[in-house]
Amino acid sequence: MSAIRFDPRTKLVLLFMCVLCTMFAPSLTYELFLVILAAVFGLLSGQYRYTFFGLIAYCLIFLATKLSIYHLTGIWQAIFIAFFGLVNKVYPCGFMAGIMIATTKTGEFMAALYKIHMPDSFVIPFAVMMRYLPVVKEDWNSITDAMKMRDVSPSLKGTIMHPVMTAECLYVPMMMAASNTADELSIASVTRGIENPNPRTCLTKINFSVKDVLAVCFILIYFIIGLLIRRGLL
Amino acid sequence: MIEFKQVSFAYEGSGEGKLRDLNFTVKKGECILLTGRSGCGKTTVTRLINGLIPAFFPGKLSGEVWIDGREVSEEPIYRIAEKAGSVFQNPKTQFFNMDTDGEIAFGMENNGVPQTQMQQRVNQTAEELGIEKLLGRSIFSLSGGEKQKIAFASVYAMNPDIYLLDEPSSNLDEDAIDDLRKHIALLKQQGKTVIIAEHRIYYLRGLADRIFYLEKGELKHTWTGEEFFKIAMEDRKHMGLRSMEHKKDKGLLRIDGKSSGKKEEMLEFQDLAIGYGKKVVLSKLDFKAFTGDIIAVTGHNGVGKSTFSRTLCGLLKPLAGKILWNNTALKEKARLSHSYMVMQDVNYQLFADSVEHECSFGIQNPDYELAAKTMQELGLSEYRSRHPNTLSGGQKQRVAVAVSMICKKEILIFDEPTSGLDYESMLSVAGLMKRLAKMGKIIFVVTHDAELMAEACTRILQLEA
Repeated sequence: MSAIRFDPRTKLVLLFMCVLCTMFAPSLTYELFLVILAAVFGLLSGQYRYTFFGLIAYCLIFLATKLSIYHLTGIWQAIFIAFFGLVNKVYPCGFMAGIMIATTKTGEFMAALYKIHMPDSFVIPFAVMMRYLPVVKEDWNSITDAMKMRDVSPSLKGTIMHPVMTAECLYVPMMMAASNTADELSIASVTRGIENPNPRTCLTKINFSVKDVLAVCFILIYFIIGLLIRRGLL
Repeated sequence: MIEFKQVSFAYEGSGEGKLRDLNFTVKKGECILLTGRSGCGKTTVTRLINGLIPAFFPGKLSGEVWIDGREVSEEPIYRIAEKAGSVFQNPKTQFFNMDTDGEIAFGMENNGVPQTQMQQRVNQTAEELGIEKLLGRSIFSLSGGEKQKIAFASVYAMNPDIYLLDEPSSNLDEDAIDDLRKHIALLKQQGKTVIIAEHRIYYLRGLADRIFYLEKGELKHTWTGEEFFKIAMEDRKHMGLRSMEHKKDKGLLRIDGKSSGKKEEMLEFQDLAIGYGKKVVLSKLDFKAFTGDIIAVTGHNGVGKSTFSRTLCGLLKPLAGKILWNNTALKEKARLSHSYMVMQDVNYQLFADSVEHECSFGIQNPDYELAAKTMQELGLSEYRSRHPNTLSGGQKQRVAVAVSMICKKEILIFDEPTSGLDYESMLSVAGLMKRLAKMGKIIFVVTHDAELMAEACTRILQLEA
């Protein structure tokens, strides 16, 4: 089955609704189904690997949360429930955002944001940020390589044994690289006219079609169900 | 037409790259090479044309730069961008999209070119530049040379009248430089104005109509292409310029040949296969290296040079075969403690707040005497209390080398140590490597720089897929 290309605006709506759903989630099971819905969306978009591992990770978190509710007592229960409570709130949104970033081209995103009349001052920094994330990953890899050669291990053990040194090792080159990268990315974009005030066009057609309407309806219905359960009406 | 009228410029807070009283005119359709030592201001000239100065880089500007009857500093950058397209040096950060098609179309999208016309122009660009097979790929799957081609294509698609290329060849292998040469020839044929700031000049023979030589921000000489490529070697070296001829590496022994060094300590690769995960990048690597060897590691962009160096350093596990040090197999951990890589971007490997602290950073029971001696040897003593980030590129490189010496590493790997360096800086890197080899280290240098190979290397390892 080939991947379905959703409109970037649909993805933004889905992400926003995802945030609302977790905010008003009536139960843990509701969150589990939310993650499953996101997973279905991920599969439809063709992100098989990511969806698979993301779903398994959430199942583990789900089990751990259940365990800490039913099998822990006292202060440990309080600590773990607070921790997992937070993870449960954030995870579905993070999962959804991951699918969104992986399936949307930068140009599409920008076109979509302009279509919903976002101003330049929002769209351009947003696009730079999107583009910056993969660079962070590359920088991170290079720095951890350098650390290993210096016998400052970036592993968990090293971090616990020498937390200050590990932090120093990461943030000094990271900051250096970040400021250079930000400059160079900005230069690459302004010299190709990103600040042009004329309406922007997009190489790939983006159009809101039946599949998008369906996706949005699904999440709306799910959100309403959540609200109803919360009010005790369902 | 481009015109500089008494242009002077100094960057805010830095003495590097300033310009003094520049006057020149570039006619439509001319191909100009800007050259000179590192920091002579050639990049600054390109920034004055594409409007990054004064819009992006603040500083003190006087005089006027005109393009086709309009003054650059009066125009917004996006207006200039329609006239003058820029290609930069670092392939990692000159992209804005994650996919190649989107990247090629990016400038056109910004200018509001209609969608159908844009698709056609993307295909036409790919065809004219011969990069059809790069369409529809993820940017992150491309090699450095391929990225550079996409960056070029992205500007080409916008069809500007003026092309500004800032050290476009610095990360390219020989074949990619050949392609670059063809692309520049194509631009000339179309009557475009091309301005190239470069150290590497040999590939511009027959293309550059005029050569501007800058020294400390002043335009010292102007030659025609014919005059320039006749300059005697001695004079050329005196001006800090890189080779005008394309040197082949034929003087060097292939790695399977005999070594020049003593036969005491040695590194041996036995039927090594390397790669990531399950994917084999290179296999059947079988050779010996001895102390005192300086081995050039070459091969096309994307052939696996960095996989090779990372495996050698112990950052990656070989997929098959062994690496032996004096007949004992070395595991990853042992290789990590025997070897050290001087990265192309040295900033990643400098962590401390002063050169002195850097030299003892992360070392248990550091030997301060050795540290002091090493700093002395590498001419770093006077910078001992400076922050590494305030040093020049070459000085940073030497700090990294000092660290490797203090950690008593025997195997050193230099990753493209001379990319973008002028003649003198290249010589000093070569000198440093020779000194290290004399101390009994084994040196590997990943490079495309034929001049460096001729100057320093004793053997060559040509990687082929």
